[in-house]
Amino acid sequence: MTVPMAWTLFYDPVVLPYYSQVWLILPLCVVVATVYKTIRTKRLNRLFLEVVASMGYMLAGLVALGAALWLLRLYWS
Amino acid sequence: MATRFGWSPLEVRINEMTKTSKTIGAIPFVALLLAWLIPGSGHVYIGRVRRGIIIFIAIGGAFWAGVGMGGVLTVDYHHERWWFIADMFTGVHGIVSGLRQQRVYQDLAKEAADEGLAVPGVLPPDPVIQKKLAEKGLFPQTATASVARVYAGVAGLLNLMCIFDAFVLTMMGQAREPRPSREQAP
Repeated sequence: MTVPMAWTLFYDPVVLPYYSQVWLILPLCVVVATVYKTIRTKRLNRLFLEVVASMGYMLAGLVALGAALWLLRLYWS
Repeated sequence: MATRFGWSPLEVRINEMTKTSKTIGAIPFVALLLAWLIPGSGHVYIGRVRRGIIIFIAIGGAFWAGVGMGGVLTVDYHHERWWFIADMFTGVHGIVSGLRQQRVYQDLAKEAADEGLAVPGVLPPDPVIQKKLAEKGLFPQTATASVARVYAGVAGLLNLMCIFDAFVLTMMGQAREPRPSREQAP
């Protein structure tokens, strides 16, 4: 019996290279920023700009947090 | 501090909100239920159609991207209960995925019972589950599965925010798109 590709896709896990997983934070940030700004913004025609700005803040925060943890690790090791 | 009729300020505010929600013709609990069942439909119900469509695409996309990455056990009641609760906030998406993972465990319990490894109708012990899942190529505790669960779970938590937003907007009588203020108007 032929198994539809969509069924296999949503049934079996996809194997991702370990170091590629960090890049998956980007689409997640896009989704978080989009949903948050969709319900918060007063003018929907400015949504794109607000999402981009919000994503910038999120990524800057994550990079800063990562750098702080890396420095902490250097200090303790 | 008691006010007229001996009501507290909070009770007065809730009473005002209920009156306003009646004037716009939207029922807050219907908005809440719709927003949970189909992400974005709560906003469509209160007249914010474009926002509803964006929410539907974003939350549905994130959830199914997670399930696509992690497979059927991304929504896993037995091993990841907290993530499962978060997934259930996506409404119909979470329900469909929950039923699919339940089917996997039912098949697994049946197979284990046929082989004499478990009592019929009862879920086998965890080592047997892990062995059986591995035979099917399903590994619930991998790095990819963790990333997938974050996607599906975050989609659920974002929808929780949207449910709350649709409910509160209806209570406050702020249906339809907000009018631009004087300084925002073109």
